Amino acid sequence: MRLALRAAGVAIAFGLLLAMTWASTAPLRVTTSDDAIVRLSLGARPERIETCRTQSDEELEKVAPQMRQRVICEGVTARYRLSVRRNGQLLYEQVVRGGGLRHDRRLYVSRDLHVRPGPGVVAVDLVRIDTVVARGEEEEEEEEEEEEEEHERREHREREDQLPGVVMPGRRQREAEERERRRVEDVPAELHLEVEAVLEARDVLLVTYDPVGRRLVSTQRDRGR
Amino acid sequence: MAAPPRALERLSLGVLTVADAVCNRLYGWRYNPLYQSGTIVTALLLVLLVTGLWLIFFYRVSAPYASVARITADPWFGNWVRAVHRYASDAAIVAIAAHAFRMFAQGRSWGPRALAWMSGVFLLLLTLVSGWTGYVMVWDVFGEALAREGARMLDALPILSEPISRAFTGERPLPSVFFFLNLFAHVAIPLSMLMVLWLHTSRLARPTLLPPRPVLWALIVALIVLSVARPIAMAEEANPLRVAADVPADWFYAFWLPISRSLGGGAALGGAALTLVALLLIPLATKRRGEAAPPKSVVDEAICTGCRQCSIDCPYEAIAMLSRTDGRADEVARVNPELCVSCGICAGSCAPMGVGPPGRSGRDQLERVRAFIARPERRAGELVVICCDRGAGRFQRDLEAEGAVIYPVDCAGSLHTSVIELLVRSGSAGVLTLACPTRDCWNREGPTWLYERVYHDREAELKARVDRDRVKIGFANASEPHVARALLAEFKAQLARAKQPVAEAGLAIDTECEPVPASEES
Repeated sequence: MRLALRAAGVAIAFGLLLAMTWASTAPLRVTTSDDAIVRLSLGARPERIETCRTQSDEELEKVAPQMRQRVICEGVTARYRLSVRRNGQLLYEQVVRGGGLRHDRRLYVSRDLHVRPGPGVVAVDLVRIDTVVARGEEEEEEEEEEEEEEHERREHREREDQLPGVVMPGRRQREAEERERRRVEDVPAELHLEVEAVLEARDVLLVTYDPVGRRLVSTQRDRGR
Repeated sequence: MAAPPRALERLSLGVLTVADAVCNRLYGWRYNPLYQSGTIVTALLLVLLVTGLWLIFFYRVSAPYASVARITADPWFGNWVRAVHRYASDAAIVAIAAHAFRMFAQGRSWGPRALAWMSGVFLLLLTLVSGWTGYVMVWDVFGEALAREGARMLDALPILSEPISRAFTGERPLPSVFFFLNLFAHVAIPLSMLMVLWLHTSRLARPTLLPPRPVLWALIVALIVLSVARPIAMAEEANPLRVAADVPADWFYAFWLPISRSLGGGAALGGAALTLVALLLIPLATKRRGEAAPPKSVVDEAICTGCRQCSIDCPYEAIAMLSRTDGRADEVARVNPELCVSCGICAGSCAPMGVGPPGRSGRDQLERVRAFIARPERRAGELVVICCDRGAGRFQRDLEAEGAVIYPVDCAGSLHTSVIELLVRSGSAGVLTLACPTRDCWNREGPTWLYERVYHDREAELKARVDRDRVKIGFANASEPHVARALLAEFKAQLARAKQPVAEAGLAIDTECEPVPASEES
């Protein structure tokens, strides 16, 4: 009797473990539809709307050397309207802006749009809504030019005469270059992508932003896979 | 607030008792896997460490899928090792769930045990996260689904401006550093679990970490046989530009996936956080308050001889031995109420009966048994069965029907041997003590200590003058009346061969050490 019970115990334990192995590889239905997907995955640097101000030598002297910045710009990033159409029909429209609590970081979009499989033209537009020319910037630029000339003269004098009193010579130029570099990295005010794609069931058409070419690009799986 | 959890506790206890009884019948109480759920988890963790160490040699972060496919294709030292690793991780989840259920049902989740409960919850969480990283390592369609959903949940937190999900959209290939970090986490998390495991058992005097050898080997052999019988197959490689319709998923680690997909990342993360908080709050919800809270043990310092036995026997390291301040040369026991769970084991371990929870100390037990002996309806030569309230006490009517007289105790482990002595010497035909099976004792080591006190002269032993033919210790679970009846029948047969009982008159059980009068001190 006891042997029979033990044998039954072993059989039951093994049965339960077999059930466990089944649950370990049981199929999980990830998607119930055969829709294709237009996947938006963008990461770009939005243009900034900001007010800039030039700090005087006296102001710079008050802060630690590593904190010194000749031109201080404050503001937010511009907003953009992102829209996706397929065969002219609007699939998605959204106002997007920079990330972070103050919206001063890069903008990111990560979204899957379900569409019916088949051929079609997918059009994606990213258009800036806000005007980005910052208040006071034009005046600042003029001032900057004058000040730059004056600064160069002073630098020249400094080099020749070793005059004291000039705070961080050449800083202005470096900052200007940095601002220009950033401006080039910003996403253009208008981007448009139109792609003719044949999407099979559960295929993904990936739309991304190419920061080097400064354009929207699309990718699909290699049909060979 | 406490009522619904207590009702749930009672319901769970009913289920657990029946499950225990079934397993006791099938495997015997010594090898009942439900009694060993905690130690089985540790054994599985060791299996995972050993197999994981082997697999890690063949894993390549630069080609995760290809390297795992190569392991899986090797029938000699690849596939079955990977299968053992996988099935052991699944079995660990089952064992953890069984262990947590047991602790909850037996009301062992609150008070000083709250630390073990909460660290156990973290162990479960770490096991799930570790499993998540393990499946992501493979980078097949299942791993990708787990990674994508995990990222969606984390993206709901406003901590990163760039969504983590973008890493898995296919915009750019996943860098090797991702798989390196994932591998690092998959190794580091189980190692950190060892530290949490130490915390988990830190309040136990003698934590049992591994199951009995037959259970351990049966477990290992079963895992190997299963791995050969049901080898692992590779799923499709992850392709972010193609959505897989069906994914072969491990439901022990992916049970949350359908919920997360239907609710969205934020709601799923919120649900997971709420579940975690609810589990962590169980000790508060099940805590016994007011009169329901059992009193902690206290030491009568005048009686304490400083023998250290209570400190040795206490399963929770709640009793420390300190130097006396009253001038006597010996040490004195001191109970730490923060650690004491009021199990009463110390009451059974103290020969002079100087320690125990109020109302349950050795002296209180003696008083009670004297009243039992003096009751008017007492018959000469009756057979007394001492039943643990949580075990055989549940079916005392069955035993009474067999002619036994029941003497209930709250835990057989806290029973002082003087009670048995008094019952035998006062003329009982015999005394059968029905304790819970050792691994089923709510107070861990109660039945073991009782057995040693009766048969192996452990301190506070049953005196040699007590006729051992009239004494028996047996083990029966709360839903095993047939076992109790069989033990009773066996004991009756034993008594039939023994001499007629003789009631001793004027019985005075010496308590070895009476309180030292203040005048005699120092």
